[in-house]
Order: sequence, then structure tokens, then C-alpha cells
Amino acid sequence: MGETAVPAAPEASPAAGEGISAAHVRRTFGNVVAVDDMGLTAPAGQVTALVGPNGSGKTTLLLVLATLLVPDAGEIRVAGHDPVREPREVRSRIGWMPDAFGTYDTLTPREVLQFVAAAYRLPRDRHAARARELLALVHLEDLADRPVHVLSRGQKQRLGLARALVHDPGVLLLDEPAAGLDPRSRIELRGILRDLAADGRALLVSSHVLAELEEIADRAVFVDGGRTVDEHDLTELRPTQRRPWRLRSLDQESLLSRLDGLGVTVTGQPGPAGVDVMLAGDEEAADLVAALVRDGVRVVECAPAAGTLEAAYLEMTEGRR
Amino acid sequence: MSTATREAAGPGGARRPRIRRASWRGVVTVAGHEFRLRVRTGRWRWLLGAWFAVLLAFTALLRWALAETRPTPVTGPVPGPGAADVPPPAPLGTPMLGGLMLFVLGLALLVVPALTAQSVNGDRERGVLATLQVTLLTPAEIALGKLLAAWLTALVFLATTLPLVVWVMVEGGVGIARVVVTLLVVALLLGVMCAVAQCLSALLARTTTSAVLSYLTVFAATVGTVVVFALALPLTTTTEQVTERVPVWDDPPPGEAPGGPADRHAPPPHPPGQGEPDRWETRTYERSQVRPERVWWLLAPNPFVILADAAPAAEPRFDPRTGERLSNPLDPLGEIATAVRDARASEDPQAVPGIVPSGPEQPEPPRPDPVWPYGLAFDVLLAAGAIALTIRRLRTPVRSLPRGVRIA
Ligand SMILES: Nc1ncnc2c1ncn2[C@@H]1O[C@H](COP(=O)(O)OP(=O)(O)O)[C@@H](O)[C@H]1O
Ligand SMILES: [Mg+2]
Repeated sequence: MGETAVPAAPEASPAAGEGISAAHVRRTFGNVVAVDDMGLTAPAGQVTALVGPNGSGKTTLLLVLATLLVPDAGEIRVAGHDPVREPREVRSRIGWMPDAFGTYDTLTPREVLQFVAAAYRLPRDRHAARARELLALVHLEDLADRPVHVLSRGQKQRLGLARALVHDPGVLLLDEPAAGLDPRSRIELRGILRDLAADGRALLVSSHVLAELEEIADRAVFVDGGRTVDEHDLTELRPTQRRPWRLRSLDQESLLSRLDGLGVTVTGQPGPAGVDVMLAGDEEAADLVAALVRDGVRVVECAPAAGTLEAAYLEMTEGRR
Repeated sequence: MSTATREAAGPGGARRPRIRRASWRGVVTVAGHEFRLRVRTGRWRWLLGAWFAVLLAFTALLRWALAETRPTPVTGPVPGPGAADVPPPAPLGTPMLGGLMLFVLGLALLVVPALTAQSVNGDRERGVLATLQVTLLTPAEIALGKLLAAWLTALVFLATTLPLVVWVMVEGGVGIARVVVTLLVVALLLGVMCAVAQCLSALLARTTTSAVLSYLTVFAATVGTVVVFALALPLTTTTEQVTERVPVWDDPPPGEAPGGPADRHAPPPHPPGQGEPDRWETRTYERSQVRPERVWWLLAPNPFVILADAAPAAEPRFDPRTGERLSNPLDPLGEIATAVRDARASEDPQAVPGIVPSGPEQPEPPRPDPVWPYGLAFDVLLAAGAIALTIRRLRTPVRSLPRGVRIA
């Protein structure tokens, strides 16, 4: 039988430069159009956020990319291969973490990971070592030999991520990976995902919670109603994006009168947390702070009040309204 | 394991390579995993204990009942000339083995659907099937591995009955061949049932539906075949014109007492071959007759029929003192086998009652042709079809999903 040699060592760098590209993907279930016309690019070395409301077709698109569903139409390359025509090639190069996944409750995390290693045909003498590495990566060593059903939701989520990484894939498809995670685990997840991207992997992470993706995403693909409505490079977007900024000073009265004098409109109600103003990018913010300081306003804080993603999302939905 | 790969695609799937391959290692990976899951989840000690207790009680009761009804010399062996008239008692092992194996098969056919009927759709409901399908395991490896684990579980139940089989052998009257063949046939039939139940679990979305249908399949194979056979039998009735030449004697032969039976058609009072009849008369009448040989195959797939018919015939017993052939003891397997073989063989017109030449000097007719090869072949083909269908259903990426099913 033709076993595909899967790079198993964590230091082996995955095929770089081959992420995901999809265009005009369509998938229906009977008369339900789950994915109407979606396209995206998820380059290697970056985290691409797939953002959209519930029911917008994110999970269905990921299932198509994960070689589980045949699309009705569309051009797709995942890690350099066609998931429909060459599913095995794609499978050996992708890690998929479903949104709602079951686990074998009676097995231990170690047993689960060793079984997955066998399922990916890692050499037999690598199974135990690989499981140990992954348990360390997702901080589950303490629970490695307890049955999975004692794990909390967040811990199961981490086990799910470890399972997707067993065969060291170059492309990761993560469906709502942060759902149910506490803030501490979320920060850890962020670190893991950034590290994976830094290794040259392509990550596609879906979510409907924008704050979750704010710090990890390099790119964002917005989908709604089964269609891609916008695609952004966040690093490019950030410095010039129009979004609310929050200003706080020791004397709010003088701040407000000075803003009025400078002709800057205040959005929302000023409160103890500060005053929100709409600014078009970093340049404008720096100018405003300089002007305020020059005029004697004792500014203590000036920061974006909304994340880049959130602002882009709001702008997008506004434009559609 | 076959390593055949079919790259050709059928209609509708023209773009899709069809991977039919299965490596032994992949099958063992899945089977070991499934078996471990089964061992961890069930209350196996209790189940196996209950299973063994039921069979032990059955065997003990059966032995007791057989010993009670066995014809035994009233006063035990009496020294003297009278002792030679009493044949040795028939061993209890023959009926016990038949009873036990039929009972084990029946009980196991009830257990197997519970073990297997949720194998695929249950995994999908629990959200663990898709994570298996995205690995490098092929659909064939997943299907065969799961089937192997289910079959092994069923065989564990069968293995639990081995102490009872040893007991039966100690009772005497059963050859090792009979024991081995019956155990093998039961094992094979359980595998067939596992494959069918697993296929239903792959075809149907709901675990309850597949469980119910599995039990219905067992019912159809065991009771259904017999009912259909019984209902079909009257439909096979044929009416035929029978023309017979009958010898006629006009006068009572000399030496016979007058006033004897007035029937002119009575057979000649002297032995055949002596005294020619005066003339021959041709008589025609209609005879209607059921033809079981046309519908015997309805019984063939029945697991009980296969088990009974495949068991080698009980060895003839001879009286050790006189060398005379003794009647065989009650043998449920042999009786079922004779019934179905006769049903298959009855097309021979010679076999119509009344025309069979019979006499003490007739040699014992050879055992009619067996039925079990057909039944077993049918069942094994059914299992092979079920496995192929299961593999088809596990293939990804999928084009069409049953209504209301999410692949993950
Ligand atoms: N197997 C299926 N059968 C029928 N409808 C489905 C199926 N899978 C998804 N859908 C429908 O497709 C739409 C998109 O679903 P999904 O991809 O899960 O959205 P998201 O992940 O963005 O919340 C929903 O309206 C959902 O009801
Ligand atoms: Mg979803």
C-alpha cells in the first residue's frame, strides 16, 4: 500500500507558500443554499480570519476545504491540491478542528492522540513521543492519563487542537477554536496559533466573535449569507482605518471644550471611561494628541476604542445597509 | 487484505478517484481502537456473566429433561440372558449439542444488533466519525476495522459458551468435527449479522431506526423465511394426470378359500413373481401435490437451517454385542437437516408415497443433497454486499447527504 510519508517532527517545516485559495465556491443542501459564492485566500505564514454571523456558511466552507463535502461549484486549492480530486494528498497536509466535535470520552487524551497518530500513519515508534509533544504544547500533561470526560470544555477544545496538529500539517482549518475558552486559555491559544503561523503554516480560523480574532488575525474574510462580502489585509488596514478612538484626560471639561474648538465631533456620551471620537487612522490620532497637549489638555489615554476587525465589520455592514 | 485500487469512476462521480484500498495495518488500527472503546463503555462483566448464566441454566435444564425422558432399562442391567435385550442408552451429548448451539445462535442473533446497529450513525451523532474520515484511514479500513471489532465482540460471547460445549462433549455422542463445524458456522453467521447491522447503521441517519431494522432483519431471516416458505408451499401445488397400469386377476387363484375379499384389484395373495395376472388395466386419475422442491431455497438463508444442515451427520450407532444398527438418539440438528433436505429432494417422482418400492432388503437411501452451501453462500454474499455498501457510505468527500444529516 502506498503510505504517504508525513513529516512528523515538529521542527520539519511544512510546505511553505502553499496555503488555501478558493474561488466561487457553492454548496447547497437540497434547496438550502449554505454557501452561495465564496472565495478567499489564506496564504502561508498568516492567520486568516473567516468572519460572519451564524448561519453564514463558514462551517460548510471549511467542510469543503477539509475534503468532507463536494462543492457544487468552485475552484479550490488546499496545500497545492484539489480536495475533491486528490483528497488523500490534501488530508496529509491539513489539520481540521471541527466546531462541535465529539471525543472518545472513555479514552485518555494520550490514547486519543496516539490513535490519531496511527490514523495518520506516523511510524509506530513515533506515536508515544508525538502524543507527549502535543500534550505539552496544549498544556494537558496533567490530564494526559485521565479519561477525556473529566476534561472541561476548554480543555477538550485544546485536545481538539492537538489532534489537528498530530501530523504536522501545513494548513490548519479551525472552526471556532476559541468558543468556550476562558480568557487565560484564549491568550494561550493566541500564542499557539501565532507560533504555528510563524512556522510558515496557513491558518484559517472562523469565528463570529470579532474580539476573539482581533489579536491573531493578519487577514480577514467577511462572509454573510453564503457570500464573501469583503476581504482585508489587517496590517495594511490598521494605520489608515476609520474607527472610534477613546480619549481620557485629567479634566474632562477642558478636553471636551478643546475638542469642540478643534472641530472634532464626539460620538456617543462622554463618560468616566473617556470620550470617543471618530478618527481616520493613526496619523490623525497623533495630530490630535499633539494639538491637545499643546493647548494644555492633560491627556492620559488615547487608544482605538474598537478593534480593527470590528470597525471593518461595522463599516461593511453599514455599507450594505 | 486487498490492495486493489480502482481509479475508474462511475457515472456521476467522473472527477473522483475511487480508493478501495485497505491496508491490514489500517484495519487493525481501527479495530483495536473500536474494541478498546467497546471494552471501556459497556458493563461487560455483567453482560457476559448474565449471558453465561442463562446458557448454563439452559444446558442444565436440557440435560435434566433429556435424562428424564430417555428410555432406560427399568431395573438396570440384570445379569443373565435378559440383559442382552437392552441396548445401551443413547448418549445425551447429541441432543444437548443441538439444543445448545441452536439456543446460542438464537440468543447471539439478539445480541449482535445491539452491538453493531449504531456503529456508523452513532459515531456521526457523537461527532467522531468525520474526524476519522479526514485522517489517512481509507473508508474500507474504517468499515472493516469497525466490523472486525464488532465481530470480535460477538465472538467473545461465543467463546464464553466453550465450557458448556466441553460439558456436552463429556456427555458423549458428539464427534469433534460436529463441535468444530457448528462453532465455526455460528461464528460465521454472527459475522454476517454484524456486517448487515453495520450496513444499516451506515445507510440510516437515526440510530434507533437502524437498531429496529437490524432486529427486523434478524426476525426476517429466522422466522420470516419459515413463514414465507409455509405460505408459498400451497402455491406450488400441481395437479397431474397419473396413468397407472394395474394387474387384474379375474378369478381367485386356486387354493384360496372362497368368500375372500371381493376386491378384484387386491394384490395377488401370492408373492410377486408367482402367477401371472390375467390382464392389465389402465387407470387414470388426478393427483394434486405440493412441490416443496420449488421453494426449498426460501429456507436456505435461515441461520438455524444453515447451522443444522452444515453440522456433520451424527455417526450411526451399533449395538456392541449384536452389531445391529441402533436408532440414533434425538437430534434437533439432524432433524432440521433431514426436513430441509427432503424438501429440496422431493422432486423425484419415486419419492411419492405409495410408489416407493420398499422392503427390508432395500439399502438405506443416500442422504439427500445438502441445503446449507446455498444458504451460507447467500448469507456470505449478503454480508459482502453490506460491507461494500458501508464502504461506499463512508467515502468522502460526499456529494449528497441524507436529509437532516450533517457530516460534522
Ligand atoms: N447538512 C445540512 N443540511 C441542510 N442544511 C444545512 C446543512 N449544513 C448546513 N446547512 C445550512 O447551511 C447554512 C450555513 O450553515 P453553516 O455553514 O453551519 O453556518 P455557520 O458555520 O456560518 O454558522 C445554515 O442555514 C444551515 O442551516
Ligand atoms: Mg459554524
